Amino acid sequence: MTSNLLTVIIPSRGMLPLLEQCLAALGRSLEAAGAREQSTVAVVDNASRPPLPPQRIAAAGAELIRLDAHHSFARANNLAALRWPAEHYMLLNNDVLLQPETIAEMLALLRRIPQAGVCGARMVFPDGSLQHAGVVFGPGEQGPYHLLRTKPSHLMPRLEREFQAVTGACMLIRGELWRELGGLDEDYPFGLEDIDFCLRARQGGWRVFCCQGSESLHFESLTPGRSQLDRPSRKLFMSRWQGRYTLDG
Amino acid sequence: MPSAKITGIVHTRDSAATLEAALASLAWVDELMVVDMESSDHSVEIARRHGAVVHQVELVPRIDGVRNRFVAKASGDWVLVLDSDEYLSDDAPELVRGLIAKQGQSFDAFALPRYNYLGEQVMLGGGRHPDYQIRLFKRGAVLWPDAHHTPPVVTTGPGRLWEAPPGQGPHIHHRNYRDIRELISRQLDYALTDLYPGDPASFDFAAYLARAQQQMAMRSEPETDGDLSQAMALVMAWDAVMRGLIHWDSLEPRPPLNMLEAFPRAAGQVPRWEIRLRRFLGRHLALRHLLKAVQRRLAALLPKRG
Repeated sequence: MTSNLLTVIIPSRGMLPLLEQCLAALGRSLEAAGAREQSTVAVVDNASRPPLPPQRIAAAGAELIRLDAHHSFARANNLAALRWPAEHYMLLNNDVLLQPETIAEMLALLRRIPQAGVCGARMVFPDGSLQHAGVVFGPGEQGPYHLLRTKPSHLMPRLEREFQAVTGACMLIRGELWRELGGLDEDYPFGLEDIDFCLRARQGGWRVFCCQGSESLHFESLTPGRSQLDRPSRKLFMSRWQGRYTLDG
Repeated sequence: MPSAKITGIVHTRDSAATLEAALASLAWVDELMVVDMESSDHSVEIARRHGAVVHQVELVPRIDGVRNRFVAKASGDWVLVLDSDEYLSDDAPELVRGLIAKQGQSFDAFALPRYNYLGEQVMLGGGRHPDYQIRLFKRGAVLWPDAHHTPPVVTTGPGRLWEAPPGQGPHIHHRNYRDIRELISRQLDYALTDLYPGDPASFDFAAYLARAQQQMAMRSEPETDGDLSQAMALVMAWDAVMRGLIHWDSLEPRPPLNMLEAFPRAAGQVPRWEIRLRRFLGRHLALRHLLKAVQRRLAALLPKRG
């Protein structure tokens, strides 16, 4: 067993000022959870041009993996998880600013429910509308989508509940489950590998939850070129999973 | 098909400060050689800790002249040469092997793009990127001349060299200077230990001043690299002038320096169109690669002669 409680993995393609804000907010959240000393924060520089400056990443308390070619989101995360094994992994997007209490809340949920393998987080857009409060599934080509997305967050329920999937923009995963599934599926170019992971976890008997206690900020899809990579990922996901997940609502 | 065996070679001379990163980034090669030039720090100890075979070499003013000797000692099919202040990225193993697998049957040597760091800043303007370096080659296909920072020669001809476009292969990451002071110190060291032609009759100080003007015009690109770009351009211009004086000082008998006459002559030696064109090509490297790719495709379509 490893002594590393948590490895937080943040792939980033450029966006240094945003990444530094993300790291600062993450630091506060780890501190509040009492997990700072037992955690590793890993930034995966996914072919930024120019490369992310190593000393500034180190100054923000993070380790750095540099990739010269652009790799899939899954590959970037898997590489970091392999290098820094841990009891838990947190996948975090560079455009998510965590609230101080978020990590403590997510870790507490996994401790409280032994069968919980994955925990997501409630997130809002800068205007206060909901970005993520769990992922649900629609019929036909609709597939997975974010529950209550863009609805005013303060009016939406905060009941902590189980889902079939949550977003990998901020996702806490039990290390045992990560190793059992071999990490994210690298066949996905960019997007929906997180949903694929959750569905595979549930097939193995693990449960997926979303914490609703705090609201972190998620700007969403700021990475250049993201939308072009989404389409083949969605096609692959639907070819694998359509008809195998349960329709919500 | 079995994968080609790769030998990594790093030359050291009191390189302890940067060697860890260089060797750690080569941990995946099949054979690792460190050629040490009488280091008095922990370079050799670090090399042994990384499992490198250490070769000792006498102290010589220019490393390039001894490179050939140790490339010949490698046992790999391919040789990957890094300087001790360089390192490769974490995905280099798959990128290097991928490059060899895809292009290795058509080419004998690869020029790899290089990121040059000045402190924390990567210098991208003024032709400093991609700054191609011939560092990955089939054993025996490349020879280094005995001079500072002179590109090696691909013995099988330039047609067997491929410049790997950024994104299609690994970069070399070169943490060359901590700051401008270190740049000045190193440039002076190179200038003082370089070789200069010995014929006094062929000396022309105006040619050095012309090179200084070229450096000022082409290296300065503040819109890309900020003030550091201007500082670097000034150092490189100063370097050209220093080299002219060192060259002149080394000649016997010394020819006339003719400084006052050399300045206006130097100004005439560098046509503006050339500076503009070179700056354009330096800035629009993606376009240059695009044109090269189009050129290669067209050449492939044309019927082969003979």
